Amino acid sequence: MDPTTAMYVAQGIHGLAYGMILFLVASGLNIIFGMMGILNLAHASFFMLSAYFCYQFVSMTGSFWVALFLAPVVTAFFGILLERFFLRKVHAFGHMGELILTVGISLVIMAAVKIFWGTENLPLKIPPILGGLVNIGGMDYPVYRLFIIGLALVVLAFMALLLYKTRLGKIVRAAVSDADMVNALGINIPLVFMTVFGIGTWLAGIAGVAISPILTVFPGLADQMGMDAFMVVVTGGFGSLGGAFIVSIIFGLLSSYGVQFLSQLAALLMFIFMAVVLVIKPMGLFGERE
Amino acid sequence: MNKKVQWIFGGAAFILLAFYPKIFGIYFTNVFVTFAIFALYAVSFNMLLGYTGLLSFGHAMFFGFGGYGTALALKHIPGLPLLPAVAIGLLAAAGLALLLSPIMVRISGTAFAMLHLAFGQLMYILALKLRTVTGGEDGIGGFPIPPFTIPGVISVNMKSPENFFYFAMIVLGVSLWILWYFTKTPLGSIQVGIRDNPMRVDYLGFKVPQTKAVIYIISGAFAGVSGSIYALFQNLISADGAFHIMASFAPVMITMVGGVASFFGPIWGSAIFQIIEELTSRFTERVELVVGLILIMVIMFAPLGFMGLVGYVKQKWSIRSAKGLKGGVAS
Repeated sequence: MDPTTAMYVAQGIHGLAYGMILFLVASGLNIIFGMMGILNLAHASFFMLSAYFCYQFVSMTGSFWVALFLAPVVTAFFGILLERFFLRKVHAFGHMGELILTVGISLVIMAAVKIFWGTENLPLKIPPILGGLVNIGGMDYPVYRLFIIGLALVVLAFMALLLYKTRLGKIVRAAVSDADMVNALGINIPLVFMTVFGIGTWLAGIAGVAISPILTVFPGLADQMGMDAFMVVVTGGFGSLGGAFIVSIIFGLLSSYGVQFLSQLAALLMFIFMAVVLVIKPMGLFGERE
Repeated sequence: MNKKVQWIFGGAAFILLAFYPKIFGIYFTNVFVTFAIFALYAVSFNMLLGYTGLLSFGHAMFFGFGGYGTALALKHIPGLPLLPAVAIGLLAAAGLALLLSPIMVRISGTAFAMLHLAFGQLMYILALKLRTVTGGEDGIGGFPIPPFTIPGVISVNMKSPENFFYFAMIVLGVSLWILWYFTKTPLGSIQVGIRDNPMRVDYLGFKVPQTKAVIYIISGAFAGVSGSIYALFQNLISADGAFHIMASFAPVMITMVGGVASFFGPIWGSAIFQIIEELTSRFTERVELVVGLILIMVIMFAPLGFMGLVGYVKQKWSIRSAKGLKGGVAS
């Protein structure tokens, strides 16, 4: 295979991997929004927090796999605390209060991270099994990127099973369309909300662990990912998981090919895409409501 | 409180303001100018949030356009007088608002907030990337600051902090007064109507999107004025100072802390924030942490902010005095 095609394919893999991570973050954001109507502006901070937990667990135990399991769980625990003790209390004051509360939480997380871990870039090694390249059909692929894509697909399948094959999933889908009615039918909606919030932050946590060996761990992670994830949710349509998936992959590919061909304007491509979509469909590609 | 007492208080405040630089010295004069700039910025923001019910997470783009407009005009047009430079800042911000308004008036709520967040970030990236125009990370600094002149009458050097204080006070004061006056006009009443029930306003025969656009442009224009004064005051405007996400969150926090339900709330909020910043920056560098904690505390315990607390205390007091009166009658 000639080098040009190889380069295209390699960039495509990079783009897909980034798109998948983006999707993990954006889907958590989207589930929480679709069900509870809360736009969690601290979502990307949990993503960053998980990356730091990952660094901490790896330096304590030396095993990436332990970190991959534990860091998202601990992150989800913090997410549940946020929902139970903060968000639930301000729910009565409407969405404005929730938005501003989550901004406050994200500032506090940012400050806490800087206090505990400092502001430097903390490097994290790719575990040896996932390092290097693998040869498939005469092409070399970086294993870690393929691993990210696979991991995201496994999580996606797990989420789909959870949503469409279990009782909890049925309740969640019912609550998305009318939470008050489900509550009136005798289901403990606050508990379901808490669980969903925990799952959403858990998804962000997995993305945080997955990205840390690629980008290193630093306080700017939250800003970078947060903005992209919000754009995915806005462009794909609030509350639409399918929209988030498609737009995540488009954004991932746009950013990787954009850096290749238009390095100066790469950051703008996503904005242009979003602006075009929103001018044509103000609710986003697959969005039906505000 | 009757009219007379109000006049006396107003007069005392005016005299205090007039002699402020003489009494407190240059350092606190500059603190006061910063307070006034952010007061106008937050009040212009509150035209959207408090009066029209639209939360914007990207108000910094108007602030930044005002600042960059003035700075670029002064840098590239030799001999440009001061007031036209400020006017260019205002027009730049108003022009941006006019451009965005066709999209923005069709949405509200979370979509409005998020789209502003995204556009604000777009402006930030543009300011960083278009290095030849905006100077990238360094921004535009050291542009000439012309004296304030009325031809043939007066020429005041703006390089002295004291003179700049008076100039800033007049521009910001007049801007605040215009916004205050605006909320009292019939259009200002429709604005509140749109916040409370847009559908009913529509049924009454008013054009909701067009009205929203006018309010949006006014709000943007005055944020531009505050940005323009900010650029003149610092003699520097940079992407981090003007377009960064924290610059967009500043008016949100000021308004929430001061009180979203009142015109004067953001002004109090700006004062409170200046005091907090003065105090915390002496003891700690973690302003982020302090600001975050304040936001959480305010939302959890005093969602109407400082003005809400004041109202609560007033109410308690009047109930108590009413009770005392009753007791007096009974005995």
